[in-house]
Amino acid sequence: MRLSSLTRPESLVPLVALGTTVVAFALLPAYTDSGIASFDVYNTFQIFARLGLVALALGLTMIAGEFDLSVVGTYALGGMLAVQAGQDSWATGVLVAVGAGAAIGLVQGLVIAGLKIPSMPVTLATYIALLGLTSSLSDGLSKTYSNASVTLWVDQTVLTFFSPRSLITLGLFGVAALVLGVSRWGRELRAIGGDRRASRVAGVRVDRLVVGTFVASGVLSALGGALLSFSLGSANPDPGVQPLILAAAAALLGGVSLAGGRGTPIGLLGGMLAVALLAEVVTVAALPAYVTQLFYAALLVVIVVIDAPDLRNGLVRARTRLRPPAPTAPSTRNDTGALHA
Amino acid sequence: MTSSPSSARIGDVLVRVDGLVRTYGSTRAVRGASFDVQAGEIHALCGHNGAGKSTVVKMLSGQESPDAGTIHLAGRLVDLGSRQAAQRGGVALVDQELSVVPALTVMENLMLGDPQVGWLDRRRTAARRFRPVLDDLGLGHLRLDQPLTDLGIGERQLVEIARALGQQARLVILDEPTATLSDVESAHVYSAVRKVAASGCSVLFVSHRLGEVLELCDTVTVMRDGDVVATTSTADLTVESLIVQMLGELPERPDRRLDQDTESEVLARIDGLSVPGRVDGMSMTLHAGRVHAVAGQLGSGASEVLRALAGLEPGASGSAVVDGCPVHLGHPSGAARAGIAFASNDRKSEGLFLDKPIAWNLLATRLGHLTRLGVIRGGRWSSSLARLVALCGLDPKRSGHSVGSLSGGNQQKVFVGRSLGRDDVRVLLLDDPTRGVDVGGRAAIHALLRDAADSGMAVLFASTELEELLDLADVVTTMHQGKVVGRHAGRTSGALLLREMTHGSAADEPSAPAEQPPGRAEKREVHA
Amino acid sequence: MTTLTEPPVATAAAEHGSREPGRRKPTASDLVVVLAVLAVVALGLTTDRFVTVANAKAIVTSASLVGIAALGLTLVMIGGSAVSLAISQTVAAVGMIFLSAQSLGLVPALVLAIVGGAAITALQGAVVGYAAANPVVLTIAASFAITGIATGVSGGSSVSASGRGYDHLNATPGGLALSVYVLIALVVVVEWVLRRTRFGRTLYLVGENRPAARAAGMAVGRTTAVAWAIAGALFAVTAAFTAAFNTSANVNLGGTLTFDAIAAVLAGGTPISGGRGSAVRTLAGAVLIAAVSDILLLRGYSTGVQVMVKGLIVLFVVVIVHVRTKGRHA
Repeated sequence: MRLSSLTRPESLVPLVALGTTVVAFALLPAYTDSGIASFDVYNTFQIFARLGLVALALGLTMIAGEFDLSVVGTYALGGMLAVQAGQDSWATGVLVAVGAGAAIGLVQGLVIAGLKIPSMPVTLATYIALLGLTSSLSDGLSKTYSNASVTLWVDQTVLTFFSPRSLITLGLFGVAALVLGVSRWGRELRAIGGDRRASRVAGVRVDRLVVGTFVASGVLSALGGALLSFSLGSANPDPGVQPLILAAAAALLGGVSLAGGRGTPIGLLGGMLAVALLAEVVTVAALPAYVTQLFYAALLVVIVVIDAPDLRNGLVRARTRLRPPAPTAPSTRNDTGALHA
Repeated sequence: MTSSPSSARIGDVLVRVDGLVRTYGSTRAVRGASFDVQAGEIHALCGHNGAGKSTVVKMLSGQESPDAGTIHLAGRLVDLGSRQAAQRGGVALVDQELSVVPALTVMENLMLGDPQVGWLDRRRTAARRFRPVLDDLGLGHLRLDQPLTDLGIGERQLVEIARALGQQARLVILDEPTATLSDVESAHVYSAVRKVAASGCSVLFVSHRLGEVLELCDTVTVMRDGDVVATTSTADLTVESLIVQMLGELPERPDRRLDQDTESEVLARIDGLSVPGRVDGMSMTLHAGRVHAVAGQLGSGASEVLRALAGLEPGASGSAVVDGCPVHLGHPSGAARAGIAFASNDRKSEGLFLDKPIAWNLLATRLGHLTRLGVIRGGRWSSSLARLVALCGLDPKRSGHSVGSLSGGNQQKVFVGRSLGRDDVRVLLLDDPTRGVDVGGRAAIHALLRDAADSGMAVLFASTELEELLDLADVVTTMHQGKVVGRHAGRTSGALLLREMTHGSAADEPSAPAEQPPGRAEKREVHA
Repeated sequence: MTTLTEPPVATAAAEHGSREPGRRKPTASDLVVVLAVLAVVALGLTTDRFVTVANAKAIVTSASLVGIAALGLTLVMIGGSAVSLAISQTVAAVGMIFLSAQSLGLVPALVLAIVGGAAITALQGAVVGYAAANPVVLTIAASFAITGIATGVSGGSSVSASGRGYDHLNATPGGLALSVYVLIALVVVVEWVLRRTRFGRTLYLVGENRPAARAAGMAVGRTTAVAWAIAGALFAVTAAFTAAFNTSANVNLGGTLTFDAIAAVLAGGTPISGGRGSAVRTLAGAVLIAAVSDILLLRGYSTGVQVMVKGLIVLFVVVIVHVRTKGRHA
């Protein structure tokens, strides 16, 4: 890998975010009594698995220049459907959840691509509607998942550090990275996020790709919700706003830009791992929770600053002002304003 | 899959366009265009703004469907309902607007939308196909994995051209491909296009540069008001006869230039204005009551001089003084305070508020005069509006209409009108004042600018069009590669201006520091 | 009807001597809108106890708190900054300030709250306005920062009132909650500011086309910052009422207000892309959502269904408004 490619925001941001948190994690023994146990790593991946798929779903839509706020609605609905339809067979539950996620993504994608509406208001409305739907499916109550063997299975320790749940999540990040890495989709996803008109002119099937991205987003979020419900042994109809904000933070820390066209699944993985590590560090070190909030705030402010165009202009201006006047050789011929007719 | 171009023999009719019609709302953009393009032929499509060229290109490239008429490719009737259908049918396009994606690398841009690239990325195969095209276009120095953001505008345009030429299409459409290119780059494009045509492919070449059309193309189809006027072999054409075909008759050229003997007050003095990589130490004076022009091709720095004065180039340095007060460069609001008003060449994204009524657009920059303690005074608002609408020659009944509903010419009148009739505007800057404006609107805008000068302002516009420079400007400053080449007051010849704009002058700035290449254009030449 | 469909700017321009000549031909979307309005009205009329004074009071009362915050967000959205995702957090923090300042008396506490809310939000607005930062990312960052600081300062516990002055905000003059009067007064003021002042006009222009406003030398940064400052003051008013109602405040005081406020603004037909919208529209959006929720409640539907229908209303309005504005340009 060339050094220059590491300094681009899509690699630099997740590297810095992950690097900071890994250092904080590695230094844990310095400020707590206990050393790092393998349990801590396992736990980090469990936290990662909790929101990983939502962050991936949101991140993919952001690369395509959209912003799918409905991911957390689909996440909640997927969890609820998996519990309600999967009491007897987990497979049925997952299938129903994923099917619903795909259908939601399809409808949203068709509306957004077909009518060329900005995605944020549409997905915000869907988000609200899905939370309502989830809540009405369960009369506003948490639903218990009685199939305890599934609950035990998804969270059992595998290879010291992992669980089937975190491995599935990691696997899906891997699949996304592979698909976007070797197929035309990766290129075209960033193309439509970067410049939609130019992509259309070049012959990219923009609308299909947008619909496909939203379907993928719905499937991933629903699956994430289903896995979470199996793990908790229950489905919560109202996940609150926090998952959305955290997933967005993870995606942004993963080097994805809200302007679109920038980011990779591997970067998203880095961003999400950074979020998970930080949560684990705070838990192990028994730090007050607001430290996490302030850390996110600081990191996001840095991202905002990197991306703000007029701020960059201001810096250029300031540099021009501060620099001593360039020794431009004054051309004595023309600057008197005399017109040689 | 695209059939290889060799399936058609040179000289066969490869593309047949028959009776194409396209209507937008009540305007008939194309009223029945028919022409043939042979295999191996470079066929030019010429016409004034609004003649219907772009619409024909859109229909041929699958971006618009014709209301009536047919397109045959290699003898088969084709339905080019989408860009993908057109690509599969073997039509490659270089769009009028730069259509590469900065977020991608050079290679990714080349492969974007290519019908020959499958689901799996076979970069090596694609690289083998595109590398020679890049070399032909003088881009041999580029790495394929270089992000496009590293490239200058000209190089990006060449990448787009490489994409179209490398697709091994039956028909390659190039819509004003050289508008943003330097001469050296354009020369590369010509030879690459000739090579592609020689392989049996048809090329449709849309251009405003008539010299280039006559030199490069075999045949010229001229359009006017949505109709095809004539299709002629270039051997039978001269620039003059081509202009006659395009305009119908040569327009009257009113000689309204001021008598240069009358002294006029120096209103603004610009000294050593520089924009890194664009403008190198430009100096000039602006006189009250005169229309000044900076003439220069894209990339010459002419446009950037105006943008710097308007405060839109944050890296600008040097000094500008208007009416004795120094201008704080780098802030648009600083320029406005100094009495500089600016009309960008990009009306849509940097000029007008298209969704808002004409009234709001005309009065947008003088809200301060229409309010007391921040509250708008209805009476003043109406009277100012009525005065301005009359001044600009707009329909007073339509001042509540959104500006987006107006024609290009009337939009430009609103844009210019925004800066007229005000005491606080001393210098009026216009970048390409008649872009996208038809012939009638053009005359009206020229009259408007002349009136503005007569009212005591200094008008400064940037343009590449000789006709406009000769018609409108009292004083022309030519620029080439970031530097002033010459200044001309009074009667000048178009040929001289053109030579200075395209080649610089022979005795070019002997005192200039040679070790510091000032412009991107020059840097590119070093590579080439 | 027309309040939903015609941009208020056209009306404002019409008052200055020009009128849209000729009537548009009714389109399919007109029909959809008419049918939708008729359906809501019919549903309301056939719902038991919907058309009563007591019920109307209930509707406006429930619309008032969200409505005031949504008014603030309307300014942000008109100015082209899309949304603030930090409304709940701002309200929570300001609510805590308000209650802990009660010992100073009601008015000083209120002033302190409003100044605090305006300052927090204006700071974000300044970054958006002057540096062209992405408002979504910035307000996510701000929501973390505000919650973090509020939790740190309060030690994570609830703040209870240090005086009784706040109780005046829970008054119900004429049988209506005080917040309803405040909402109506604020709608009138904000609408007037938007239509009649230089700031209002500049805000519409900046929101429609920021680069153009910048190139024309207009005060883009200042206008945006002022819009956000007013928005923050309005968030603070909501915060004071909410805190007074709950008599204690913690970092969760804001609840789902961020999304409720966005829903109200969008349901009023203000597009997220900026340059259009009005205070009256937002009021209509807030009341529409409250009324439909009320109908569903009276008909015995669960909270879940009410929330779902709220989402669908927003979706419907967003799509219809988008289709219609696009139609106008063609």
